[in-house]
Amino acid sequence: MAEAKSDQLRVRLVTPERILFEADASAVELPSKSGYMEVLYGHAPLMAELGAGDVTIYGENADGVSRYNVNWGFVEVLPNRVTILASDALKPEEIDLKRAEQQLDRGLHQWKEAGESEEAYDEALRVISEAEAKIASAGEVVKTH
Amino acid sequence: MANVLDLRRRIRSVKNTRQITKAMKMVSAAKLRRAQERALAARPYERMIVSVLESLRRRVDLYDEKTGNLSHPLFLTRPEKRVLLVVISGDKGFAGAFNANILKVTYQFIQGNPGKEIDIEAVGRKGRDQLRRRFPVAAYTEQTDEQGLKRAQRAARQGNVELTGDHPGLLLHLDPRRVQDLAHSMISRYVHEEIDAAYVVYNEFKSVISQRLVVEKVLPLIQVGQQQVAGAVEPSAEEKERVAEAALSAGIELEPADTTEGEEEAKKFGTASVDYIYEQPPSELFAGLLPQYVFSVLFHAMTESVAAEHAARMTAMDSATNNASEMIDNLTLHMNRVRQAAITKEIIEIVSGAAAL
Repeated sequence: MAEAKSDQLRVRLVTPERILFEADASAVELPSKSGYMEVLYGHAPLMAELGAGDVTIYGENADGVSRYNVNWGFVEVLPNRVTILASDALKPEEIDLKRAEQQLDRGLHQWKEAGESEEAYDEALRVISEAEAKIASAGEVVKTH
Repeated sequence: MANVLDLRRRIRSVKNTRQITKAMKMVSAAKLRRAQERALAARPYERMIVSVLESLRRRVDLYDEKTGNLSHPLFLTRPEKRVLLVVISGDKGFAGAFNANILKVTYQFIQGNPGKEIDIEAVGRKGRDQLRRRFPVAAYTEQTDEQGLKRAQRAARQGNVELTGDHPGLLLHLDPRRVQDLAHSMISRYVHEEIDAAYVVYNEFKSVISQRLVVEKVLPLIQVGQQQVAGAVEPSAEEKERVAEAALSAGIELEPADTTEGEEEAKKFGTASVDYIYEQPPSELFAGLLPQYVFSVLFHAMTESVAAEHAARMTAMDSATNNASEMIDNLTLHMNRVRQAAITKEIIEIVSGAAAL
């Protein structure tokens, strides 16, 4: 590997099947479980669980933005490196809107049926948030969150 | 004695068979190469999950200091009374003893654990067909509870060993989401105390010449990151030699370069000697990571098993091709002898006929 520029983050997006993305970037936006966060070069070491949402990687120039929709993941941040473990990552154009909407319906249905069970609620919530994140990231190119 | 025409026909038929087995061998070799690549590409993820879990375990106590509770139910060990066995076999035959071996190990496991109730989840068509013939399929009855919800209730067991589910076609594309579903169902059964332990039976495939049949313990999690092998069958030296031979003739590397940069980095994932800021409390991190770990163990087992299946088929077809060649040689020799005998006989007849004149 050639000498990386001093203010660049090495970003790696790993899924169960393969390493999906590996490049230098100036900033990364992550959908942590407790809210979105942005990581720049020199960030303090951090570990976080990711919820459903978009991972946005800002490359060196303005058009080098790549966006991936993830629904569960884990991230390790080191000052010069960001490694994202995602159980599944989709590009916005790969998202099947129809299926996402079906998923949303299914989630809402589960939510209604959950009754007293806390577990069923959690599961329903997870399905709903996953579907909503998918719809949101497929819907528009400019993010609104 | 067979005549020349019959022999010629037989030779032609064996030649045709050889063509088929040769083609199947080449197809398996190509598929093996792809499966190997896939298994390799899947390794960084697994490594990362393992290293991050290891480092979390080192930093975080398993027991909550105040309440004394375990930080995650999957760490809880109970006496093994009910066991879940995931059997990963192949989808197709013509792979030598591949499927038979998997089933043999499965039966051994069942016999080695008498008195325990064993649930089997069969992955792969061949294993499922066999197991279904031997063991009853678990019966579920749908019941409606007081809230008007439909719930599947398991009927009384018909025997100690029952088949609780099968997953046809899972190995064909190896969709991570379906493996995820299986992992979740395993975990929920464990948490609800329907099972006390879970094992996977599969063919491990590190490389063409290093493979073995293992019974691996998945749940409960005792030592994260270390394979808890409950039993393993190593192939004999002879078998290894055969595989190596077949691989060489198909142009497959014996030991693929397995340390890519990504994998080296993966080992270090989450293990840097710095104080991490944990965004969420450790117990939450465990709750998110452990199911993913179980998934990665299963996914790993499946990718390896697929590669091993193709390797087994390649080896079997290579043997078949060699045997066919041998048979053709023998038959050709035999045919030539028969033809020569006929010619000699005719000459003798002519000569003796001439002598009688």
